Amino acid sequence: MKKFISGMLLALSAAVLPVSGVLASTGVELPPVKANIHDKQSLQRGAKYFVNYCMGCHSLGSSRYNRVAQDLGLSPEQVKDNFIFTRDDDGELQKPGDLMTNAMRKKYGEAVFGVAPPDLSLSGRLRGETWIYHYLKSFYADRTRPFGVNNTVFPNAGMPHVLWELQGLQRLEVKEEHGHKTETLVLDQPGKLSPAKYDEVVMDLTNFLVYVGEPSKLSRPTIGIFVLIFLVIFTAVAYLLKKEYWKDVH
Amino acid sequence: MANSGVDTKRRRFLIAATSVVGAVGVAPLAYAFLGSMAPSARALAAGAPVEVDVSKIEAGQLTRVLWQGKPVWVVNRTPEMLSNLPSLDNALRDPNSDVLTQQPEYAKNATRSIKPEYVVLVGICTHLGCSPGYRPEVAPADLGAEWKGGWLCACHGSRFDLAGRVYKNVPAATNLVVPPHYYKTDNIVLVGLDGGKA
Amino acid sequence: MADHPKHNYTGLLGWVEDRFPLMETWNYHLAQYYAPRNFNIWYYFGSLAILVLVFQIFSGLFLAFHYKPDAALAFNSVEYIMRDVPGGWFIRYMHSTGASFFFIVVYLHMFRALIYGSYKGKRELLWLIGMTIYLALMATAFMGYLLPWGQMSLWGAQVIINLFNTIPFIGEQLSVWLRGDFVLSDATLNRFFALHFFIPVIVLPALVFVHMVALHAVGSNNPDGIEIKQGPKGNRWSPDAPKDGIPFFPYYIVKDVFGVGVFLFVFFAVLFFAPEMGGFFLEPPNFEPANALKTPLHIAPVWYFTPFYTILRSIPDPWYGTVGMFSAIILLFLLPWIDKNPIKSWRYRNASHMANLLLFAIVFLILGWMGTKSVEPLYKELGTRMTQIYFLFFVVLGIHSRPFANSQPSNVLGILIAVVLGLLVWIGSGFLSFGGIFAGIVVGLAFALIFMLGNFIAKQYFGKNGVKARYAAWFFILLGLIIFYDVYFRFVPSDTTATVQMLLQLIWPVVYLGVTLLLPALSPSVNAEKPVPERVTE
Repeated sequence: MKKFISGMLLALSAAVLPVSGVLASTGVELPPVKANIHDKQSLQRGAKYFVNYCMGCHSLGSSRYNRVAQDLGLSPEQVKDNFIFTRDDDGELQKPGDLMTNAMRKKYGEAVFGVAPPDLSLSGRLRGETWIYHYLKSFYADRTRPFGVNNTVFPNAGMPHVLWELQGLQRLEVKEEHGHKTETLVLDQPGKLSPAKYDEVVMDLTNFLVYVGEPSKLSRPTIGIFVLIFLVIFTAVAYLLKKEYWKDVH
Repeated sequence: MANSGVDTKRRRFLIAATSVVGAVGVAPLAYAFLGSMAPSARALAAGAPVEVDVSKIEAGQLTRVLWQGKPVWVVNRTPEMLSNLPSLDNALRDPNSDVLTQQPEYAKNATRSIKPEYVVLVGICTHLGCSPGYRPEVAPADLGAEWKGGWLCACHGSRFDLAGRVYKNVPAATNLVVPPHYYKTDNIVLVGLDGGKA
Repeated sequence: MADHPKHNYTGLLGWVEDRFPLMETWNYHLAQYYAPRNFNIWYYFGSLAILVLVFQIFSGLFLAFHYKPDAALAFNSVEYIMRDVPGGWFIRYMHSTGASFFFIVVYLHMFRALIYGSYKGKRELLWLIGMTIYLALMATAFMGYLLPWGQMSLWGAQVIINLFNTIPFIGEQLSVWLRGDFVLSDATLNRFFALHFFIPVIVLPALVFVHMVALHAVGSNNPDGIEIKQGPKGNRWSPDAPKDGIPFFPYYIVKDVFGVGVFLFVFFAVLFFAPEMGGFFLEPPNFEPANALKTPLHIAPVWYFTPFYTILRSIPDPWYGTVGMFSAIILLFLLPWIDKNPIKSWRYRNASHMANLLLFAIVFLILGWMGTKSVEPLYKELGTRMTQIYFLFFVVLGIHSRPFANSQPSNVLGILIAVVLGLLVWIGSGFLSFGGIFAGIVVGLAFALIFMLGNFIAKQYFGKNGVKARYAAWFFILLGLIIFYDVYFRFVPSDTTATVQMLLQLIWPVVYLGVTLLLPALSPSVNAEKPVPERVTE
């Protein structure tokens, strides 16, 4: 029993990695990406890409359509027409106030993908913008995988490259020099979009997922400024009061 | 003496200033906390307006929908039922719907409805919140010969006619509530929103 | 009971005072509680701790209106609070930020007690109550961290509860009983929620109350470590009050209000602009729902537990690791009996004592930082060295408490300790086995030998001056014990990387012991204490 515990503790401690830059599983540090959740146009595009390409498998189960609409500056009608494709148990289209779930059953997901596609409500906070951005750009053709693609950021990801029509297909090139391996992704078969345009699409999706991870972040800093300004005033007055009373002591 | 050479005026002012600024800070904090007890987005979504297709209700029948977690009745009243309504006025506490809180303005009429045949009512007794039972039959044995159809609340015996108007001498004091509603199309009534204001 | 004390209040106040000691309490604890006039910045943290406790209780209450302590619902109910509840995110962040700030404030409050000797002068109970508050706080925080039911919640609690597994004989049953299940489950979550409500709402306020009662009975210490009650009497407020005291109300109340302003600025700056605090206050893996089938790659406890977590990890044997971790906390309870120096404040203690406290603080911070790191050879060794220094601190503190004692450590005492130690090791490593007996003999003999050898070297080279020889003897003994521990318990001949690290990083205990023990042996000025003034200084 002791061995089991020490083994477990060791395994755990071995797993504790520094909380620094975002690493691809290959150990290469990914160039940091900064999401902009205040770019409403980008968020709207990102939301549209999400419901069209991702939501068939990945739900946003903590998020509501009408909240997204409100935050992105869309009308309820726009949301209804462009975003709501999921039908509820009665076969009716979801309502704007509903959570952004999808109709995929967990069992079905497991059967098809090995693991049920995770809910992505919090992916922006769990993985972070850098990871999401690079992940979506790092699919490459790999015949050994069930969906014919693999990913350098998340090797053996159990997910097809749903955006391949836009990006095209990449190939992994491994060069070895002085025992040093360098991996590069080369675009083999161009997609509908130019690489620059595809990067924009990925950035839109990243922005949207970061926004969806924490919608309150939109207003949080603004409120914060007012709170801090208030506290400066309060502290100043309290300081004068303290000084006045402490005349007795000094 | 403890108070020699003390600028009492300045102290009072600074105490007042600190207290006022402090109170200005505590107020939004309290607001944020207490505000969190208001209905959440989930509750609001559940309370969203509900559509009812009145053309599917057979004459004399009642259909129930849930709005804000409350039962809402829509009844397709027959011409006979409607013609019985005025005859009850003397037995009712508020036959002309004078208590304005119980219905929107567009339902303050003889039938308490927008379209005479379709009445929309919140199915909760105005006495203590039970949901009354629908008794459309005329003069049943247990309700007496005067009964022209309506609702009977099983909890405390309150009676309402087919326009949701309350009888005299029953525990409930006011008519049943007519919720905000309007006709989106000829047949679809939307419960929960006033037409003009929505 | 006798009659109520006489009072001169009239009207409503008089009516109340006849029936309840309202003004009496007010006066005793505030208006006529005379606190030393020389409190400095370190004295803000007590009142701030109370403020944060109030924050936590209220934000916790409002979170509990929406939270669901059910394994199937908990995670989503937190996100429901973050998104659907009006202003819910603010209350949640207040609670999560408050948890971390609670520990920041409490750690500073505790360090204040260390540097000014606030556990001395009939303040032992005050210190014990305070330490109990700290324990209750850790228990509360630990249970609270399970409630979001994310991956870190689950696996963090899993590891800590499994510590109880290591207790001989009863361990496994105990941890099953604690969990209420064979694995961490809904049953555990449910009881942790109840306890996370009960402890901070009932137990903590009661302890804080007792803490205050004890404080106000003895009186506050101060940066000079002078008992103002024993000084001259008479100030502008009262002829019998200590001359160096000022009424807590209004003077320290207005001062604390100002302190609250500054604190809230920092608090809300974090809350609104960096509630995750770079993954330290809210760890990213906790944004994934708990999954009993998959341990996340990066797992570390929240920052306020990491110093003790590093101590746990640096002792390879699980049972001794657990013992080490808990004794690291228990030793803090014993401070008043380890440090018996009559001078309270470090201002007037010798320089080595000051260095000892500062190094302890630095070591604590390094231990904390290390708890978030992976176990590479470099860090593993650093963690072990820092753990060694953590425990050495208490021995050195005891040595410093009698800076001018001129007797070298007694060899008889050394041999006695060696025998006890040998017996413990024997029992610990197999009572009935030859290996166990052997280990016991080796450890006991080695300890006694190191003890006597240290004394011998010190006598040879520092013999003329007893004070110097005492410091030197302890230096050699403690260093010898560290080296023995390394060689006997940690040295693996085949693991060269570890050995190299072990040798390289021996520098840390050498420097630590050198600064705190060898330096005063070499230079009397480092050992010199300063005269404590009669009255408090500005």
